[in-house]
Amino acid sequence: MKRKKKYQPHNQKAAYLFILPSMVILTVFVFIPLIASLVISLLNMNIFMNDISFAGLANFRKLFSDSRVSNATLNTVVFSLFQVPLQVGLALLLSMYVAKNNKYTKMLRSIYYLPFVCSMTAIGIVWSMLLDPNLGLVPYWLKQIGLESISFLKDPSLAMPTVIVITAWKGFGYTLTLITAAVLNISPSLYEAADIDGASAWTKFTHITIPGIFPTISFCIVTTTISSLQVFDQTYVMTQGGPLYKTETLVQYIYDRGFQTAPYDLGYASAISVYLFAIIAVVTFVLRKVVLNKGEESDA
Amino acid sequence: MKRKMAISLMLTAVICSSTLLGGCSSGTSGETKSGSGEQNGKIELEFWNVFTGSDGDILKEIVNNYNETNTDNIQINMDIMPNDTLQQKLPAAIATNTAPDLVLFGVENIAPYVANDSLEDISDFWETADVDESNFLDNVVELSYVDGKLYGTPMQYNVSYLYWNKDLFEAAGLDPETPPATLDELADFAEKCTDASKNQYGLALPVQTTYMQFLWANGGDADDPETGTNLLDSEENLATLQWLQDLAVNKKVTPVNSTGSDCDAMLQAGQIAMYFSGPWQINGLREQGINFGIAPCPAGTDGAYSPAGGCSYVIPKGTDQETKEAAYKFMKYWLSDEVLKEWSQKNGFPVWSETLMEDPEIQNDEVLSAISEATQIGRSYNLGYSLASQIDNDVMFPMFEKVLTGAASPEDALKEASAAMDTVLAGSN
Repeated sequence: MKRKKKYQPHNQKAAYLFILPSMVILTVFVFIPLIASLVISLLNMNIFMNDISFAGLANFRKLFSDSRVSNATLNTVVFSLFQVPLQVGLALLLSMYVAKNNKYTKMLRSIYYLPFVCSMTAIGIVWSMLLDPNLGLVPYWLKQIGLESISFLKDPSLAMPTVIVITAWKGFGYTLTLITAAVLNISPSLYEAADIDGASAWTKFTHITIPGIFPTISFCIVTTTISSLQVFDQTYVMTQGGPLYKTETLVQYIYDRGFQTAPYDLGYASAISVYLFAIIAVVTFVLRKVVLNKGEESDA
Repeated sequence: MKRKMAISLMLTAVICSSTLLGGCSSGTSGETKSGSGEQNGKIELEFWNVFTGSDGDILKEIVNNYNETNTDNIQINMDIMPNDTLQQKLPAAIATNTAPDLVLFGVENIAPYVANDSLEDISDFWETADVDESNFLDNVVELSYVDGKLYGTPMQYNVSYLYWNKDLFEAAGLDPETPPATLDELADFAEKCTDASKNQYGLALPVQTTYMQFLWANGGDADDPETGTNLLDSEENLATLQWLQDLAVNKKVTPVNSTGSDCDAMLQAGQIAMYFSGPWQINGLREQGINFGIAPCPAGTDGAYSPAGGCSYVIPKGTDQETKEAAYKFMKYWLSDEVLKEWSQKNGFPVWSETLMEDPEIQNDEVLSAISEATQIGRSYNLGYSLASQIDNDVMFPMFEKVLTGAASPEDALKEASAAMDTVLAGSN
């Protein structure tokens, strides 16, 4: 005990030095903006920063009676509920196939990873051109094979599913890479032992593979959910929140109130940001509890 | 031990804050306004505008020409950006004293910026720069005034026009030289020119825009900016919206849920017979070889009206006197007959000065005379009203979108819009 205490300070000093660069960056780009938005959410303040006054909780009261906030919340939740399982499921399924080390699967893994390294803006623009009902290639093909032209991003009932599929397509390569690495990390001796015991492929999958990669899957679920709740680029580029606000997400609405529509109400936009922050905090907390507990159970 | 820890924490804090201060100090050095720096006695003006289209090239030419020929040693550095980008950057730039020296944007922006005390009062412009105000049409110059003070000088003025594709008219058995004069004719012609099998539409009605020309034509209106009164919920508006929904949803004369830029592209591709838009379509249509005509907005039971718009040069708040004077000189240059004439002729914008309206070359230009005639029915829709963009975004865009896509009945859409209008107007107090 005594020895430990003596040793600690030296260790800590070096540790502080090592985390210093990331602490500085986090402070400037995360902590300060976070605190600033908490403060701004309590103010009447627009982008011109004249006549700033204390608003109390007025911005939050307004938020709960604003139908566009509830609509955006619903859209964001729907997006996450479908996008996360789709992306992780697709990655899991394909990783079973590519989790071998040969030239062919390595090539496939690189191909799957490609969309992930492209910018969402570029991907969004390309997809909205491909899917454009009047000028796009996909509706043209549909017409050629005798189907009716579908306006994927302009039909209120199809816009959100289209955005979800494109997002999952873009992101699954990353999840796939993580899961594949985890699968390859499982000791082959476990499978050999199972083979000797005469286990079926399905039993091996559910009793060896899934428990072995569960920590990775739960990590993927948590991070994908957090990024899904902050969805913005894809809807901003492809639909601008339309048609009829069907794809307007919370971040999109925050951006609209703060930077797109006069009077550029930063106070109100910040209040919605704080609300989104609260949602993400709660969801992450619950997910970690549920997913991580399960992970420990299956480890045991 | 504790002390060591405290010291290392303090060090961290010092380094953190010095980074922050560093950030600030580079901000303050930017405060000596970027553009107005004088080098070799040259006055440089930073100039932001939103002319991303082909008109931007012509603007660039005129500005370059000014840079080369002016005798006041003024150099204008132009920065063209899309309107949303400008709207994001400019308020923050003004608040942090890093704004450009000259900005060119839509007149609808003047009132909200003035309400936030972000533009220089340039009421002395006419006298200081020695420009004759009476040479310009009152209704044009008025758009740059707020509460009797001048905040900008007009750059261009236009209303919304009806473009029609003469070839498509002829193919549909209509007289290619006769545009619709009434809303009934408009609906009739639109139906005749629509051929879904060829992906061809009679009348493009994009979403995320307003159709004041239709509401006004039947005697309706949206709001009264003078008194802040909600005028939406009227029999006239309901009738207009029913007519509009019938056209879009039942007769399918328009591509569904298209944006303005989709429709621009389709118009240039010859897939659209009729379309309401500003003069900026003219060059694109000429380039694509479309055989088109320009007509005034058609009349309803109450007459024919068209929403007016325009752009003005403004000077952001905080610009120093010397820079301001240099900006005045460029504004004066723009308001000269030669420049205004070049702009109108190359872009198809109507002329709005007495001297140019009498100019024989302008009078003989077919497009310009058609457009100048169609400009006479211009009417202000919330121009100079600080709530204008909020009314559009929260009330009018959703209302027209619901009606055009059939997402709501005209009754419900109107009722909902009227309630939203009450909220926006009440929020102003």
